[in-house]
Amino acid sequence: MIATRFMELRKRRGLMIALIVVNIGIPTLFLTVRLLAHAFAPKSYGPAGGYSIYTGLVAGVMYVFGFIVAATLGCTAGSVDLTEGMFRHLVVTGRSRLALYLARIPAGLAIVVPLVAIGFTIVCAVCVFAAPTRINYDGVNVPAGLSVTGLENWAADHPGLVLCDFGYNGPGLPNVPCGPNGQIIKTPPGSQGPTLPTPAKLRAAAIQVARQNYSGYTSEFLYPSVSLMIKSGLWLELEAVIGLVVGLGLASVLGQRTVAVILMIVLEVILTPIFSRARIPHLLNLQRSVVGVATAHLAPGGISVFGGGGGGPGANHGNPLLVPESTTVAVCVIVAWLVVWTALGAWRMMTRDA
Amino acid sequence: MSAITLPDASHRRAAESQWAVETHGLTKRFAENVAVNDVELLVPRGCAFGYLGPNGAGKTTLIRVLLGLTHADAGTMSLLGYRVPKHRDVALARVGAIVDEPRFHGHLTGRQNLQILAAAREREARDRIEPSLKRVGLAHRADDKVSKYSMGMRQRLGVAACLIGDPQLLILDEPMNGLDPAGMAEMRDMILSLVAEGRTVVLSSHLLDEVERTCDAVAIVDRGKVIRQGSISELLAGASLVLQVECSEPDRARSLIDGTNIAAVIQVGPLGLGITMPGGTPRDVVAEINRILVVGGISVYRLQEVQASLEAWFLQVTSRLGAS
Repeated sequence: MIATRFMELRKRRGLMIALIVVNIGIPTLFLTVRLLAHAFAPKSYGPAGGYSIYTGLVAGVMYVFGFIVAATLGCTAGSVDLTEGMFRHLVVTGRSRLALYLARIPAGLAIVVPLVAIGFTIVCAVCVFAAPTRINYDGVNVPAGLSVTGLENWAADHPGLVLCDFGYNGPGLPNVPCGPNGQIIKTPPGSQGPTLPTPAKLRAAAIQVARQNYSGYTSEFLYPSVSLMIKSGLWLELEAVIGLVVGLGLASVLGQRTVAVILMIVLEVILTPIFSRARIPHLLNLQRSVVGVATAHLAPGGISVFGGGGGGPGANHGNPLLVPESTTVAVCVIVAWLVVWTALGAWRMMTRDA
Repeated sequence: MSAITLPDASHRRAAESQWAVETHGLTKRFAENVAVNDVELLVPRGCAFGYLGPNGAGKTTLIRVLLGLTHADAGTMSLLGYRVPKHRDVALARVGAIVDEPRFHGHLTGRQNLQILAAAREREARDRIEPSLKRVGLAHRADDKVSKYSMGMRQRLGVAACLIGDPQLLILDEPMNGLDPAGMAEMRDMILSLVAEGRTVVLSSHLLDEVERTCDAVAIVDRGKVIRQGSISELLAGASLVLQVECSEPDRARSLIDGTNIAAVIQVGPLGLGITMPGGTPRDVVAEINRILVVGGISVYRLQEVQASLEAWFLQVTSRLGAS
């Protein structure tokens, strides 16, 4: 039954094309344009890949569109037998209606999981292999992978950039006039302007600033690490599973696809971002019970969802913008949504007049 | 409970039951409307059984209740000896049905639609797809999308969908709908061949002529209630006796017969006299009418008994009910 359900969904050409375009086409097109732009005008356009592109695509495009794609497929699977008149034929076979419902879940997953995986693999491949070779730290291109000493040495060679552009919190820095592109403005001889520190003092000051910024420098990456990619991939697949199962249940309850898809889009694009960030008095528990809020809290470290996130599972450390929620609660909310919507969809199928 | 877990005794009892469909006190309401009203229905095995009634009589609703597409509000029912809905999965494993207009996934081919249905049945159903398509005459169009099928082809695909389960009982709801005369003839032949194989076919229809040609027994339903059921010959035995008489003086002939104690309704028309007598009138009365006319000096050119039709009988029965 699962195989024939899979066949039935896969043969919906228009739907499959739309799912592929959204889940694979959009990130592929975006990265292709960046690759071509960098290839033809490298001075004007930076490398196509890299860490920041990766996090932007995963947290933005793939997270949202992956959910919508999966939800659309789930809504289709949950309603088309009824709307196209096949439901009656299936009921008359005598097969349990619960079995008929449950067969749709693995069939839908067999489509949506590979689609998400393919799109994600393309993103990972480009972000790793077309990553920049220098880190952009505080607006300055800095060589990657330097040790403390290496960064200090580099700072000593580029005092202007470091003193003008790096952040610094502390006393003892000489006052240097900064021009564009990290250039120290030198006072022409014979003018009344302030006296510049000696080059040695400038180098020492730059080293001091670099030392303080070293921890921030090491948290910048050229490209995503393997563990981040694995966690991100699993997180995106989880989001897709949620979209599919909830969409399937909702469409089964409503008995139609269009309204169910609209409601899922509203949930993902409007309600979840609002509930993730707004602190509505007396409604915090309701906000925490929204599945999108829960999955946002499970985002891997470095992935910034709805402007927050980046702290990874566990409270919302480093992530003051999200409504606070523990990992345990987030997991429970997700499990509850999966179970409840499966139960509701199955119940409606079992009780509906065919 | 599946066929695997039912005790052998239950299967034996079911096999011994002489009824393919049996209902007692079956009732289904939609708010204030009683669509199926205390129906007592007995469909013998191995025959073609017609379930007749006008539009809105409750034919389709009864079929939907029997098949578990909607639940009954009261009463009991069994299919092939198995109580439903208690042993629904066992019963329906040997039942094929078309309810309303058969609809399928339009983006799939006929064969693919049958594959979906076969997957919901037992494993052997997959092997019956090709023979079923061949039997209904769709083998050459099996790989075309159903959206390209005509109404008749969809009806035939519906029958193929029934056949993949190797059914002992087929329930066909208005199977002639939308078919041209050739299609109706094909459907009729198919039904008769299925009955010849020992299967039971229940077909609901408002096309009395078709039912009379196809079925051995019927049940008449009106406003949700079964008002008559039995073999067609038994039912028509109670129908009125109609004589058509072509004679030289129709008006005088009418007066002569009116002057006797023969209970008859006489109409004079362009074809002569139409004499309608109640069901059960002995055939001697026909000879007596002939004698009265001849003795009265009227030339009788033709005296013919008009064969009672199901349609005429049905209209008679339902109009009597309407009057009461």
